[in-house]
Amino acid sequence: MDSVLRAAAIYLVLLVLFKVAGRRTLAELTTFDLVLLMVIGEATQQALLGDDFSLTNAVMVIVTLIAIDIGFSLVKQRSTGFARVLDGGPTVLVEEGQVLHKRLKHARLDEGDILEAARSIQGLVEIRQIRFAILERNGKISVIPYE
Amino acid sequence: MKPPDHRDLHSRNYPVSEDMTLQRKVWRFERWGWYAMVLLMGLTLAGLFSKGPLSSAEVRSADGQLRVEYQRYLRNGATDALVIHVQGRAREPLEVELSGALLQGFNVQMLQPQPLKASTAGDGMKVWVLSDNDGHAMLHVTLNSDGVGSFQTKVALASGASVGLSQFIYP
Repeated sequence: MDSVLRAAAIYLVLLVLFKVAGRRTLAELTTFDLVLLMVIGEATQQALLGDDFSLTNAVMVIVTLIAIDIGFSLVKQRSTGFARVLDGGPTVLVEEGQVLHKRLKHARLDEGDILEAARSIQGLVEIRQIRFAILERNGKISVIPYE
Repeated sequence: MKPPDHRDLHSRNYPVSEDMTLQRKVWRFERWGWYAMVLLMGLTLAGLFSKGPLSSAEVRSADGQLRVEYQRYLRNGATDALVIHVQGRAREPLEVELSGALLQGFNVQMLQPQPLKASTAGDGMKVWVLSDNDGHAMLHVTLNSDGVGSFQTKVALASGASVGLSQFIYP
């Protein structure tokens, strides 16, 4: 019984924590983010398994995690409202060469992040060359240049 | 939520359709979530989740013969100590009775020093420890928390002195 409860509790806690952290936090994975992710995994492992290292427990935990994940995706498919809350929506950051500063501030981003995406994806070097920059649901920034 | 004054925060429909009302709620949630995390860190440092000023406690019996140091908050699976100080006559075995929910919530891993003898007593146990030349005896009880919830324990001496302690074990 407790393996299911443990897995469900950890799933929900991680879901809320990563919602708080925002979509950008682990989107552009730096070396440090990778290490941080591994440390979070280590800290979670003990709570997931407790002191029961049996094969059955491991299977039950994995089954629970994947089942909840599939369950959520099914609910998301039926209810767009739920999907919006859980996944968020895309946010426009640059519109016709103009940076929407208020939005950047709330999203904890700066022009440097947009320019970085512009350089790596489109080979653009200035904000005024960008028609639209959009912060996607997965935390990546899409850049659409002027024709 | 009141509509945003700034044009930057109005919803766009092109190139993607946005829901800025929801997005602003999400940003607000992120901000308050961060405050909550910092608060939680502060509370943890203060000892709300075991080991800290809020958690370390001491009770003393009215006649001063019995004193117990314990943690108010514990965590399931973690090990902690209960220190029982007893004052009695010099060089004599002193009887200490542990009763209540102690044995349901905890696993007694070690008693130090080794008691002279031990017996069951109702739902708890009795141990006899030898006092030193000043009549002082100390018993370290190493406990592994294996329950979840609130547990009330009573520590009593044969002389009648007793103290009650309440401990909460987090899952």
